[in-house]
Amino acid sequence: MKIRSIELIEQLQADVRQLILMAGYLQTEDTRLLTLQPATGKWSVAQVLEHLNSYNRFYLPAIEKSMVQSTIPAAQWFRAGWLGNYFTRIMRPGTDGKIGNKMRAPKNHRPVLTVDIKSVMQEFTEQQRRLLSLLEQAKEKNIGKIRTPISISRFIKLKTGDTFRFLIAHQQRHFVQVSNTLKQVKDREPRNEYRTRNKEHGTDESVLSSFIRVASLIEHREV
Amino acid sequence: MELELLQKFITPIHPLDKKEWEAFSAIWTPFACKRKTVLTASGETEKHLYFVTEGVQRAFFIGNERQEATIVFTYPLSFSGVADSFLTQTPTPYFFETLTASKFIRTTYKQVEELMNEYPGIQKLILKTTAFALKGVLARQAELQCFSAEEKFTTLLKRSPHLLQLIPHKYLASYVGIDPTTFSKLMGSVRL
Repeated sequence: MKIRSIELIEQLQADVRQLILMAGYLQTEDTRLLTLQPATGKWSVAQVLEHLNSYNRFYLPAIEKSMVQSTIPAAQWFRAGWLGNYFTRIMRPGTDGKIGNKMRAPKNHRPVLTVDIKSVMQEFTEQQRRLLSLLEQAKEKNIGKIRTPISISRFIKLKTGDTFRFLIAHQQRHFVQVSNTLKQVKDREPRNEYRTRNKEHGTDESVLSSFIRVASLIEHREV
Repeated sequence: MELELLQKFITPIHPLDKKEWEAFSAIWTPFACKRKTVLTASGETEKHLYFVTEGVQRAFFIGNERQEATIVFTYPLSFSGVADSFLTQTPTPYFFETLTASKFIRTTYKQVEELMNEYPGIQKLILKTTAFALKGVLARQAELQCFSAEEKFTTLLKRSPHLLQLIPHKYLASYVGIDPTTFSKLMGSVRL
C-alpha cells in the first residue's frame, strides 16, 4: 500500500494537534489527580506523559538529525516499510479506541512516581509543537528514503515516515491509557466532588467524555 | 465552482477588477477533512486562510477550571481559520477544528501577502474583510458584557436562526457563554 506523502504528513499533523488539544484539556484538571496511581504499580497520568517525553527526547533530535543531513528531494508517494508497519500496528489503539495487547516499557523508559507534573506537561506540549514543525519540514524531504535509527538499536533504521507514524501511534496508545487512568482515579474520589464541580462550571462536556470521544476518533490507518 | 462562490462572496465587500481577480483566484487549493479534525493547535501560527464551502467549524479557547469558550463559528460561505494569528503571523492561544465534515479552498499567508503588496485592490479587500470581522467582534463583545443569558440567546437566534440546525447546542451554549442546561431551558421557553 502507498499513500501520497503530503496526505500522510497532514494526517499525522492533525493527529499531533489532537494530542496537543488533549494535553490542553489535561491542564484544566486538578493536578493532584494527575499524580495519583490508579492502583499500586500502575502509572499515574504524570508518569505516562513522562514516559512519552523520554521517547521524544530521543526521537525528535534523531529525526531532525537524519532530515537535516539529507538533500534527497521529496517524493510524491510514500510506501511504508514492513517493520514500520509492524511497529505502528502493534502500537495503535483499535478502531474501538481500546488497547488490545499489553506491553512492558523498557527499563530506561519507566518513569518514577515523583515526576513533577507541571514541568512534565510543559515539556510534553513543547515536544508536540516541535514534532509538528518537524512534520512541516518533512514536507520538503524524502521521508521514504531518509532513515532514522530506533531507540533500542542504532543499527536498526526505519524510514523516517515510519518513525513519525510509529512515534505518534505510540502517543495515541498512551492517551487511551491516560483517559482510563483519569477515570479510575476519579471514580475512587469521594463520590460527588467531581460531579458537582462539573455542573457548577457548566462545561459542555466533562474532560473525560471528550477524551473518550477523541480516543474513538483515532483511526486505523494502514499505509 | 468554489472560485465562483468566492467571487460571489467578496464582490459585495470589495469588487476586484479583472487582473486582480485573476491573480487572487490563482492562489487557492481545494482541501477537505473529516469532522473533529484539529486544523490549528494552540501555540501554532496560522498558515492558512480558508474559504468554507461545506461544513461547520469553530475556534475555541481552553481556560483553566475546565472551562472552554467557543470564540467563533464559521460555515459556508465565509472565510475561516484563526484570523488574528493569520494576519499578525503570531502564535495563537486558540484551537481551530471542524465540527462536521468540511470542504474548503485555502491559501497561505505568503501568497496573500505577495498579492497585497502587488495589488492595492487586494489589499483593500483584505482590509475591508478584516474591518467587518472587527465590527462583528466588537458587537459581540458588547453583547457578552451587557446582555442577560436570555438576551444573548435571542440575539444569536435572531441574527443566525439557521445555526440551530447546523451546530450542536452545547457549542452554541459555549458560544454565548451560558450553561448548556440554561440553553435548553431557553430553547423551550423563549418565543422567537
